[in-house]
Amino acid sequence: MGHRQNNTALKELLYRIADDLLILGHRNSEWTGIGPLLEEDIAFSSMAQDKIGQSLVVYQLLQELGEADPDTVAFTRNAQQFHNCQLVELPGTDYEFSLVRHFLYDHSLLDRFRQLTGSGYQPLAAIAKKFMGELRYHVLHADTFIKKLGTATDESKSRMQKALNHAIPFALGIFEKSPFEQELITGNIFVGEAHLFEIWQQEISKIVSDTDLELPDLDFSRAKTGGRTGKHTEHLQPLLEEMSEVFKLDPGAEW
Amino acid sequence: MVFDSLDPRINRLNLHLQRQEEYKSVSLDQLPTYEVFLQLKPDKEYQHAGIVHAATPDTAFLFAKEQFSRRYTCTGMWVVSSSCVWVTQCMELEESIYDHLPDDLHETKESMSAYDIFHLYQRGKQHKHAGKLMASGHGDAVIRAKQQLDQGKPVLNIWSVKTSDVRTTGKEDLEIWSTLPQKSHREVISYRAGEKLKLFKEKKHGPPAK
Repeated sequence: MGHRQNNTALKELLYRIADDLLILGHRNSEWTGIGPLLEEDIAFSSMAQDKIGQSLVVYQLLQELGEADPDTVAFTRNAQQFHNCQLVELPGTDYEFSLVRHFLYDHSLLDRFRQLTGSGYQPLAAIAKKFMGELRYHVLHADTFIKKLGTATDESKSRMQKALNHAIPFALGIFEKSPFEQELITGNIFVGEAHLFEIWQQEISKIVSDTDLELPDLDFSRAKTGGRTGKHTEHLQPLLEEMSEVFKLDPGAEW
Repeated sequence: MVFDSLDPRINRLNLHLQRQEEYKSVSLDQLPTYEVFLQLKPDKEYQHAGIVHAATPDTAFLFAKEQFSRRYTCTGMWVVSSSCVWVTQCMELEESIYDHLPDDLHETKESMSAYDIFHLYQRGKQHKHAGKLMASGHGDAVIRAKQQLDQGKPVLNIWSVKTSDVRTTGKEDLEIWSTLPQKSHREVISYRAGEKLKLFKEKKHGPPAK
């Protein structure tokens, strides 16, 4: 396995992570100012900010590997050039969906970075260790709300269940395999999507079993895939246009 | 009429202006409150930071973390329902509440529990954790505090909290604050807005007249 090939595999992994974080951070930040209650508005916005901050750190790793600078990468690509899973680009039409997505996605992220703390690619292992604290809070937040709203009233339970049913096929798409899967595993960079999926499945099943909610079928054949290779829903391009609107007014501006 | 806002998120909500009905405030339309105490450095006493509205102690803890420990450093957080905080009368200026409390303890057969005592030394400042003691109730706790925790410095007001009512931070939770000192983007000062504005003005109008 050549060094160059190894880099391509690594870059693909980093783009998935960074693009997921950027797009989900942006989607979650859409609740800023209109969250269900002031305290939750602040907490959810703060976590969205953490995610965008984490995406910046991963884009910086990509820059060190020869990619363009983080602002260019974040604000000038079109939807087909993004490697995020479709789950993160879906509009946050209601708060229960945003919470359920936060729960499903953030568990995968915590598990992914927990695995990456042991990555043979040292710079990635180092940032994974650094992110642990933030991710721990994000998952604590998600679990607390799933348990609370998944056991509270008939209305809360039915709304959470509906959101869960809608989100699961997209959540399965998080684990769409990379064309470089085997290289990442044998290169000791990452344990691979299939292994991550196993861990994630166990963790979310455990939390959901503490509620009155029913976890839908996690058969991978139901997965909404394509996001990792640039096939996105109609929701991503408008999001990118809105996100880069200010940047494009004056791309060279110093902030 | 539909709101046309500069904020696309607001437009997406499709809010319709409703002027026909006046907004009526409903009593108890807020969740209950919880008092939040922070420890800013290891070995420093916990002090009151403020309140959050929340449905449960666990959600109060989540909210308090982002509400009151977004900046600086934090090594621990306590959260307790406001209804579980027992409060004495508040004194003026140099007068200490302890001078108004009896010295004698009432012998009791009731079982003893742990209580946390907080002191207010100055109006407008935060209550600070003064110590922990065993007592049979809140009233008993403040009388015992007079014997055990009164240092002679005037205490304007005392809060007594039963330790079992407090949602505390476990050692494993401490990691959630680990990157706090690096979050300089949360400090207004790190954007150096004043400096940039000055440069911008100089570029536009030349250097300031002396």
